[in-house]
Amino acid sequence: MRPVYIAAAAVAPFGKHPDRPAAELGAAAAGELLRGIGLAPDAVEAGFVGSVYGGSLVAQRVLQRVGISGPPVFSVENACASSGAAAHLAWQAIAAGVYDCVLVAGVENLTSLGSGALPLTSADIEVDQGQVMPAAYAMRAQRYLHDTSATVADLTNVTVKNRGNGALNPRAHFQQEVTTAQVDASRPVADPLQLMHCCPNTDGAAAVLLTSEGFARELGTPRALIRASIIRSGRFHTSFRDMTWPDITERSAKAAYEMAGLGPADMDLVELHDAFAIAEFLHAEALGLAERGTAHKAVAGGEFHRDGRVAVSPSGGLLSRGHPVGATGASQLAESYWQLTGAAGALQVPGAQVALAHTTGGGIYGVDNGACSIHILTAED
Amino acid sequence: MTTQTEAASGAPARRFVGADGVRPDGTPIVRISVCRRCASRWFPPRDTCSACAHDELASVEAGTDGVAYASTVVRIGAPGFATPYVLSYVDIDGVRVLAHTDTADRENPQALSPGTPVTFSAGPIRTAGDVELWSYRVRATTPEEDR
Repeated sequence: MRPVYIAAAAVAPFGKHPDRPAAELGAAAAGELLRGIGLAPDAVEAGFVGSVYGGSLVAQRVLQRVGISGPPVFSVENACASSGAAAHLAWQAIAAGVYDCVLVAGVENLTSLGSGALPLTSADIEVDQGQVMPAAYAMRAQRYLHDTSATVADLTNVTVKNRGNGALNPRAHFQQEVTTAQVDASRPVADPLQLMHCCPNTDGAAAVLLTSEGFARELGTPRALIRASIIRSGRFHTSFRDMTWPDITERSAKAAYEMAGLGPADMDLVELHDAFAIAEFLHAEALGLAERGTAHKAVAGGEFHRDGRVAVSPSGGLLSRGHPVGATGASQLAESYWQLTGAAGALQVPGAQVALAHTTGGGIYGVDNGACSIHILTAED
Repeated sequence: MTTQTEAASGAPARRFVGADGVRPDGTPIVRISVCRRCASRWFPPRDTCSACAHDELASVEAGTDGVAYASTVVRIGAPGFATPYVLSYVDIDGVRVLAHTDTADRENPQALSPGTPVTFSAGPIRTAGDVELWSYRVRATTPEEDR
């Protein structure tokens, strides 16, 4: 297989954009990407656009706004991993030699769905019972706190860390630090989770350009090598499940480390899917960044801070950037790309050479998550 | 999932969600499918085994005793459900079920501690128009003050 690069990225700032449909936000990100590197739209040979609530033919509706109409384009839905999955499909096509230049985008407008917990799929036994994502993560949190020495204060540490990172990110939905007292005083959502332990419903879009080596050289932009691109689906069963161990992340990570020839200790930064504060503990452990049952200690000890052992969500994570569901995977890749090309500004992890971008989610019964994507990227000399 | 309507005269129409009805003793009928080839157990019931794709599955009725794996008080919930409400993941007869949970103090509900033994009952979980949706519910087998 041929090496595949990320050669450009753009994010339409995340936030509340009630008057801007998903396709328009996507076009803003895709247009900024093309203009930023002076790339003509007809140089793009294919497009993959991830979205959950964007509707039919969202890829066409995004890309035709920026002059990409005619080539093959695909709308990709895989819950929170939608644009991670879009990137994976683009990676496959370039690695296989089918294309040299593919645009990947993720787009979402959640404001149009109203406030509160996101609507989940219908005809699902747990949704029929009133299940919402915060409740599912609340129960993971309750069990984790029961099984380990972690407390609610440890969950709050995740929020304070990631909101501190996000305060420096001009693309984040929330660009303000929060204190422990503010988190404690925030509205209870599902015990033990308070509002600030949960990511906000956000509108936004992100785009990354994937290319072959030859195309990247010709383009001449800073680039990062995709060392691993992995998607896994949730293993379905309806029997006992250990909800403190997301096996979908473990299986994805194992495959990604094997593909990259790298291990968790090699990661300089990880953009982790912290849709809820508890998720940082669960996924950090499943990614091998901390021993099982100890991620809360790693956070408390500063090991996951920007200047720590491994920077976890230096962009601010979903807790700060927000979670425009279908756009999150492309956003995680964009933030990682800027880190590895030394373009992350105030967010820069000093000397970042290896990054892992992780997205996972999907609220259907019988799986820990519906889909998970992991990409491992390395800096070029 | 299986549903059925019981149109008792004068009473609101009742539709079962997840459970197949209620026994005379007030306990819910909860059916589990057991694969005749690989013995995997499924809830809600299904025609094809999701482990081995075999299409001969036995239907068995779950008992009424389970164990809470985890639990939460939902304060911002799904549309149609009055908050706060308590949800628990419960293991019963080899399957994991998400169930509404009755707590001693209805005004100030508390989540069940992991590992709490629970008993299944049948009751309403919400109303939809003129229809009362009923399902299985759980409560701690031993009252809090006796634990």
